[in-house]
Amino acid sequence: MPEIFIDGKRYEFEEGEDRGLLQFILDNGKEVPFFCYHPSMSAPANCRQCYVKVGTPVKNRETGEYELDENGEREIRWFPKMQTSCTTQMQDGMVVHTQETSEEVARAQKDTMELILINHPLDCPICDQAGECPLQIQTYKYGPEGSRFEVKKQHKPKRIQLGPRVTLDAERCINCTRCVRFTDEISESHQLTIVARGDKNYPMAAPGREFDDPYSMNTVDICPVGALTSTDFRFKARVWEMNQTPSIDITNGKGTNIDLWTRDNLVMRITPRFNGEVNDHWMPDAGRDAYQRFNENRLSRPAIKLDGDNQSKTSWNNAIETFAETLESHGPEDVLVVGSPHASVEENYALMKVFNLWGVNNFKFAPHIEEGTGDGFLITDDQAPNTSGVKLLGYEESNDLASEVKNTKIVIMLSDELIDRGVLSKDDLKGKFSILLSTNECDTAKTADLVIPVTCIAEHAASYVNVEGRIQRSFPAKETKYTNRSLDLEMNQGRLDRFGTNFDNWVTEENKVDCAPAWEIMNQLANRMGLDVSFGRGREIMEEIAGSNPAFENVSYERMDNEMGINLNPSNKQEATA
Amino acid sequence: MEETYEFTKEDLDEIEAIKAKFPEVMPATLPTLWVAQRRFGHVEPPVQRLVAETLGLPESHVHGVATFYTQYYKERKGKYVLDVCTTTSCQLCGGYKMLHYLEDKLGIKAGETTEDGLFSIQSVECLGACGYAPMMQITNDVYVNNLTEEKLDKVIDSLKDGKMPEFESVGMPLLENINNK
Ligand code: SF4
Ligand code: SF4
Ligand code: FES
Ligand code: FES
Repeated sequence: MPEIFIDGKRYEFEEGEDRGLLQFILDNGKEVPFFCYHPSMSAPANCRQCYVKVGTPVKNRETGEYELDENGEREIRWFPKMQTSCTTQMQDGMVVHTQETSEEVARAQKDTMELILINHPLDCPICDQAGECPLQIQTYKYGPEGSRFEVKKQHKPKRIQLGPRVTLDAERCINCTRCVRFTDEISESHQLTIVARGDKNYPMAAPGREFDDPYSMNTVDICPVGALTSTDFRFKARVWEMNQTPSIDITNGKGTNIDLWTRDNLVMRITPRFNGEVNDHWMPDAGRDAYQRFNENRLSRPAIKLDGDNQSKTSWNNAIETFAETLESHGPEDVLVVGSPHASVEENYALMKVFNLWGVNNFKFAPHIEEGTGDGFLITDDQAPNTSGVKLLGYEESNDLASEVKNTKIVIMLSDELIDRGVLSKDDLKGKFSILLSTNECDTAKTADLVIPVTCIAEHAASYVNVEGRIQRSFPAKETKYTNRSLDLEMNQGRLDRFGTNFDNWVTEENKVDCAPAWEIMNQLANRMGLDVSFGRGREIMEEIAGSNPAFENVSYERMDNEMGINLNPSNKQEATA
Repeated sequence: MEETYEFTKEDLDEIEAIKAKFPEVMPATLPTLWVAQRRFGHVEPPVQRLVAETLGLPESHVHGVATFYTQYYKERKGKYVLDVCTTTSCQLCGGYKMLHYLEDKLGIKAGETTEDGLFSIQSVECLGACGYAPMMQITNDVYVNNLTEEKLDKVIDSLKDGKMPEFESVGMPLLENINNK
């Protein structure tokens, strides 16, 4: 196997290996500073930050043997200049010195950084990127102590609306061209270019054109400085005040892996999380708006219709009692349970199990597909995150839910805005007793006779099966009235969470929604109705499903975490890639 | 209303010939921008768009290329564009003095155009004629070398009469001449 010596240590690499030297160094847990290189895009080597010293062993032309020096060591022929490691192809016997073992390299990196910083405003205190800024971090680690540049800095335009969602501060731009390459190579909208030249250049759309690429905000993530910022998130929160919790995009069926960034139990922003099998480093802009659903217009405390169409809030006990009484005054044959492609596997399972035990056998769901909205990349026609999951659990797909509803007396609906999305009309539910377990205010919730607020994906650990049959799970990011970060091991704690108290002005009790996971509501209902069933947490429910439903064989949270999701349908996958 | 621009049949033939020279379309951007500037006198955004459409390239790309070079006029310029070099050699030999002299004389600043539409002034980077510093170039064409105020006066007068200055051939100093000094 070919070998390479980096800072005096021997590594082996595969023959024909085409990842560059920089990626190899990073993959081996070492570090070389860099800005313009991105593993999913071409490497133009324009930031010049990733300099290393590289040499190759000298071979005797006749014998093909390595030439040795007087100490018996291989003689090395050094490249006359430093090389950008991002574009250096590895060769057998190559010898590399990074800043760790070469003063010269450390000096070269420091000088490059000094040049990059010449016109940089260094307004970190008001810069959104601060705290997660490669320029800031690497300047601390490898940069010069100060600048020898004593004249006025070049000024460039600030606060330019490149498009509806991205704002540019051209002074902070280091012209790495990552954003331009993103629109050329990944989203292929070709909307950005670098204009002008020298110290006056910055990225821009063509005159009169907007940067309205449906993936535009990925450029904010990959911009190594605070030049491209999210118009929506700008100045809203400092990075170090937030918690980062892994989750899944619920705005379509792709199952894009994301991170939810929370502060004081509000989701402040959503960013993509790397998953090479699903979304690589990217996500559509639309998925980032979902945070509003998690924070705003939440159903909090159960509500019930008492007189006519007026709903009023009620206690949890009363809600469960009404639920049970309504069921008991009818028979199982009068009940239709509408599962939801918008809710998790565990929620759908818990509903099905309880009502099945009580004797119901009418389980339907309405797919939420909008033909033609998909783009073959990360946006799917399917508008729901778990259509495959509900199907696999045995809910029957219905394209005419209205007539199903007609033949029944009690409609139990899980997290699906059926009226809002035109599957049912208000009239369809007239004369029925409708019960909705859901997360957000909507017309469907206004129409229901009993509304029970349930946790959203940001508040529970639960799984979702994407259009390709891959099951992936969420973690709780936001506390509800009944959960507590310090007690729940699945939850992260940020600085503010750890040190804030109810008497501080950065902790707000109101941000915690009065809701509970659907399975806990099913627990209470089953208990009240004397059914022999009880659910633990999402993790245990999944174990139960794995043990009883062959489609979910061997699925567990542990495996999902270790393997970044599990493909439930391997043959499907092969078709997709073939 | 934005003006609309169209290439003539001859322009399009020329562009086709340009494209045929390269294995890909992208490198045709530069010469095609020249064709456009020659035809319309400038490459304002609508012209850039025309070039992009004609070549089937992204508008952003053409815009990036056009803005990289001062030789492409991204806005309408005067009939004569005086590109005064202010890079190191010219700067040391009085490039800025020449620039400011012209500015005062014509009553405009670098980057501006006289009201009669005759002259524009630009301060540009090295034009590769450092040996004849200070120097300027007129409308991407003739170089005027070893500038002095008197020389500028003469050049402006002759341009007003519609006469471009003659191309001045400045020979390389002979090696022995240098050694003898
Ligand atoms: S881009 Fe980075 S280094 Fe520059 S001001 Fe922002 S945080 Fe500071
Ligand atoms: S805006 Fe950011 S990503 Fe784009 S070129 Fe500048 S530094 Fe790079
Ligand atoms: S990362 Fe290698 S040159 Fe920019
Ligand atoms: S410095 Fe003026 S031509 Fe080179």
